[in-house]
Amino acid sequence: MAVINLKNRQIECKIVYYGPGRSGKTTNLEYVHRAFKKQVAGRMISINTDGDRTLFFDFLPLGLGRIKGCDVKVQLYTVPGQVKYASTRQLVLKGVDGIVFVADSLTVRREKNMRSLKEMHENLKRMGLDIRKIPLVLQFNKRDLGKKGLPVMSVEKMTYDLNRQLKVPFFPASAISGQGVGGTLTQVLKMTLQYLQQEFKWA
Amino acid sequence: MNLEEKIRLYFKEAEVYRSQSLLDEALDKYRMVEKLIQENRKIQNKKPLLERVAARIAEMEKRCKKENKPAKPPPVSDEAQSLMKEMFSFDDPQTKGSASLGGAIALAQFGQYDKAIEEFNRLLECSELRFEAAKHLLQCWISQRYSDYAISLFQKWKKTKFLPLDQLEALRNQLQGMLKKEGIERDLSDIEVKKTVEPDSEVEDEDILDINSIRFDLPQGPDKGRRVELEVGFQSGKFIKMIIPREEKSLIQSIKPGDLLKQIVFYSPVAIFSGTGFVSSKKEISSGPKRGDYSLEIKIISISS
Ligand SMILES: Nc1nc2c(ncn2[C@@H]2O[C@H](COP(=O)(O)OP(=O)(O)OP(=O)(O)O)[C@@H](O)[C@H]2O)c(=O)[nH]1
Ligand SMILES: [Mg+2]
Repeated sequence: MAVINLKNRQIECKIVYYGPGRSGKTTNLEYVHRAFKKQVAGRMISINTDGDRTLFFDFLPLGLGRIKGCDVKVQLYTVPGQVKYASTRQLVLKGVDGIVFVADSLTVRREKNMRSLKEMHENLKRMGLDIRKIPLVLQFNKRDLGKKGLPVMSVEKMTYDLNRQLKVPFFPASAISGQGVGGTLTQVLKMTLQYLQQEFKWA
Repeated sequence: MNLEEKIRLYFKEAEVYRSQSLLDEALDKYRMVEKLIQENRKIQNKKPLLERVAARIAEMEKRCKKENKPAKPPPVSDEAQSLMKEMFSFDDPQTKGSASLGGAIALAQFGQYDKAIEEFNRLLECSELRFEAAKHLLQCWISQRYSDYAISLFQKWKKTKFLPLDQLEALRNQLQGMLKKEGIERDLSDIEVKKTVEPDSEVEDEDILDINSIRFDLPQGPDKGRRVELEVGFQSGKFIKMIIPREEKSLIQSIKPGDLLKQIVFYSPVAIFSGTGFVSSKKEISSGPKRGDYSLEIKIISISS
């Protein structure tokens, strides 16, 4: 639910990083926080973590400056991925404008990816949103582990599992080194702003 | 791949899963490694290897157990709470003040009950939001396993006609539903003419030490937060009685029967402990040397440490 104020020419939108536990959502935000200093508009807030697990959410505000005459602000959120925090995920998803689904490339996490995507689909439906319409980008994270000899799924397999119906843009990534993180974010922002532009005709 | 290589590979895999807190996956792999070592006769000097793997398995099992415990949301800092409130308050243009209601509901959903209750109590003042605030307030107490207290609140509202009759009736249905979810069946009809509901105490009379005095912070009123210390004049098990001198006007005003004091410190000659108390009565003394002072009775509901 973007806040759009055409009089002051201000836009504020919300991007949520969704995905199974331990897939690297928080790591994505941490990298954005480090690497996009110019766009970062405030502190990254991680509300209560247990070790490195997210219990509530992470939050990072960005300012993109003027786009087509509008001052654009973006709020990035992550959900907690552990199964038991289902209701928190619903809450964080409220008012979402664009989504990054962070999937884990490790073969052992195949089921978890699919289950999490399905759950997200249901949550969106419950909120009256259509997964095929909302700006959505997939990220296949932890690609580096394949090179280290761990069993990971090929991009092709992951596309089949997660994207054969959705057909949305996807990015292989390694959030820990930052590879693919910027590309993912840029793409979701582009799609989200386009979507809002069409919905609200601000440009 | 020969056996040794296989074991090494699996072990490495398990170590990566462990480092990423993928506990089930790590556990699986460590168990496979253990089995391979045990079953193979060619490996020499098995003992230290097996010990190392067993230690890892034990660690994973311990962490899994912790993880699978039902999660009770931990309390978070004041700053984080205000943030949650702000971030999740969605304005419904139809209702004035609904943004604060949304924020308070979010706090409750995040398990920040104390803060949420404070907000709902504030929202009770606003007549348009009163019903919603009251409903969520009751749910907050029930979620914390204070069902009796929720019932006593409802009883108080009913007695004082705090809400219009149709809303009270709707609220009764809601409350009944919430209680039912917790497995509690209670008849709430005509509750306003029944004896005042007092929350059950978790403590046995004989477990309570003799208490000399108590200390707590005023939960509401103009002097909210002020620290108060009172001497205990009479004790019968979990019921304690104190005298409030008539000069203590703000104290007398801010405490009412039916209030729950969540943080009381109890001083006994042998120990100091804290807990929760329910204000079971407050009466002005009408005769004798203490005439004009107030007598306050508190029922000790739980003891934490
Ligand atoms: N090798 C490797 N490890 C990664 C990568 N991204 C994340 N990790 C690690 O995976 C683990 C989980 O990462 P987080 O970012 O905390 O995962 P999350 O999705 O936020 O997890 P939850 O908060 O539990 O939902 C951490 O140990 C990270 O260091 C990656 O690209 N490569
Ligand atoms: Mg996280």
